[in-house]
Amino acid sequence: MNITFPHLGNTYIAAKVLFEGLGVDYTIPPLSSKKTLEIGCLYSPDDVCLPFKIMIGNYVESIQRGADTVLITGSCGPCRFGEYCELQKKILLSLDKDIKFIVIDEPAKIGIREFLNRLSMVAKDSKLSKAKKIKALSMAVKTINLIDNIEKECRFFAGFEKNKGEFARLLKTVKLEAIEAKGAEKTLKVLEEHYEKLKKIEIDNFKNPIKIGIIGEIYTIIDPLSNMYIEDILMNLGVSTRRTLYPSWWVKNTVLSGLKINFSKIYKESKEYLGLCIGGHARECIGEAILNYKHGFDGLIQIFPVGCMPEIVSKAILPDIERRYGIPILSLVVDEMTGEAGYYTRVEAFLDLIEGRKKLCI
Amino acid sequence: MIIGIPNALLNIKYRDAIQEFFQNIGVTTFVSPKTNKEILDLGVLNCVDEACLPVKVFHGHVEYLRDRCDFILVPRIMKLQKNEFICPKFCGLPEMIKYSLDIKNIIAPTIVAYDNKTLKKSLYELVKPLNIKKEKFEKAFEAFKSNLYKYRNLDYKNSDLKVLLLGHPYLIYDDFINMNIIKKLKAFGVSVYTEDNVDFYDYTYRLIKKPFWTFLRNTYNCAISLIETGKIDGIIYVSSFACGIDSFSIDLIKKDIGSFPYLVLKIDEHTGEAGIDTRLEAFVDLLKRRAKNEYNFSTLG
Repeated sequence: MNITFPHLGNTYIAAKVLFEGLGVDYTIPPLSSKKTLEIGCLYSPDDVCLPFKIMIGNYVESIQRGADTVLITGSCGPCRFGEYCELQKKILLSLDKDIKFIVIDEPAKIGIREFLNRLSMVAKDSKLSKAKKIKALSMAVKTINLIDNIEKECRFFAGFEKNKGEFARLLKTVKLEAIEAKGAEKTLKVLEEHYEKLKKIEIDNFKNPIKIGIIGEIYTIIDPLSNMYIEDILMNLGVSTRRTLYPSWWVKNTVLSGLKINFSKIYKESKEYLGLCIGGHARECIGEAILNYKHGFDGLIQIFPVGCMPEIVSKAILPDIERRYGIPILSLVVDEMTGEAGYYTRVEAFLDLIEGRKKLCI
Repeated sequence: MIIGIPNALLNIKYRDAIQEFFQNIGVTTFVSPKTNKEILDLGVLNCVDEACLPVKVFHGHVEYLRDRCDFILVPRIMKLQKNEFICPKFCGLPEMIKYSLDIKNIIAPTIVAYDNKTLKKSLYELVKPLNIKKEKFEKAFEAFKSNLYKYRNLDYKNSDLKVLLLGHPYLIYDDFINMNIIKKLKAFGVSVYTEDNVDFYDYTYRLIKKPFWTFLRNTYNCAISLIETGKIDGIIYVSSFACGIDSFSIDLIKKDIGSFPYLVLKIDEHTGEAGIDTRLEAFVDLLKRRAKNEYNFSTLG
């Protein structure tokens, strides 16, 4: 058994730690590229949303490198993501008959026994004791929290740095070194070392950079290919960015909502506009928009794939937030045919607008 | 007090039942006319660009009703089956209407109706502010329930060619958006079946996971059971552009039925009628030729 999984931001580093800790064979798909997207578009239905296509591309590229089992998470919400496994399995089976699928669904919906059953399928080949398996899992959770924290701080403090490009360089090296490190413990050690280094980078507290919050559909804002590396571009322009929806946030939120305790501020803020869960992350998008305003951010960028059902609802609500709080919001809709030039022009114009507002102290 | 009922989305299917319910509890209703060019334009102008056509049309109907009645009914239909949903856009419909059209006087009851009890509760929440007597409500509710399943039966005459018309009810019953597709098929001498006038069985065991969209489950079951029982000669799927549910159900059916004749018509606000006509005609021609030649293969190969 050789397990593979779709990319979602930094999860591949955590997955590496998990599978190496368990002693299970795995294949990390090559980082998503234009070629991945091309392969994905070839086999996917036309109308389906962008994450589906990139995921199919990831699977095919890993299967070419020897993987034979696909591990994905599912959901039973009203958004399309929950049905992904169904159609993706059909598509992959028509390409290769021996592919197996392990779908990790919400324990609340499929029953705790079935959930544990599916989890144990992942670690079937591992000869370790139960205690060691649990240790591997906890190390993976630690990794995802650590790498996401590093990325979060790098992105935010990029606007404040004294020597330009230090945070960008650190972010690049940490990912490269983490993936090349051998063994779970060593990977974790690399991350910890870099976290220490991060704290030593000099910061100019008197700077007043443009601060932008990134909100929208979780996959497209995490995955750099689908949002055209927007965070890297903003980082190079000396803009501080922040987003809450990281894979580590998703893990925490799923566990908490499974236990039916959710104290998140996001839901409190969004209650006035959208009181119910309508699937996807529409509620989080609204709540984030208001929270970012309260934290003194200058503008917001909403990104979602064409036809994303929950985000269409939140796009209808955002203009009201824009009017009421006086915070500019740019909505970017992406799909496999998004042109780079038009996209960057809009981002640049948006930044100019914010700069102008800042000068006039609006 | 006049309550406006937009004649779009699922209201099309349940319009008569809703109207009679309000009549029985003594509230005047005003139903917007069938979709026309003016309503469509109003909708396209006011709605979020990325939304699908039926949602845009719904916006148009609400905008049309805005000055013509005191309140407008925009139901938030969450569930019609246990553990199943309709569509995220249905769940957020009142919010979309409220902020896109900047309209305050909407009534947005949350409808969770997977059995008698929950449906009753949802409706009672809706009429609570009106201070209606309990007996009157009970009576109106019974009438509503019996009317719910009285779908409009499309009278189809029996012909040799039978086609299953799949798609969401609000696309099949709205003659303006689907450009009179039922009438056109009848003119070609085809008898048209829809989800509402045939019986079908559960085939979801073929899927690895029980679908959580009511629309997807119904269309999938309907298509597969009619093909398995050999009742139909072809399927026409009417779908709106950028419909999230259809993007899955079209392909799930396609992957299961092999080479069975299957036509997908994507509809949006720019669709030209001539293109639809040509494709329908070609499809019917194909079915006719297929019926003629199916058993006449030469034994020599």
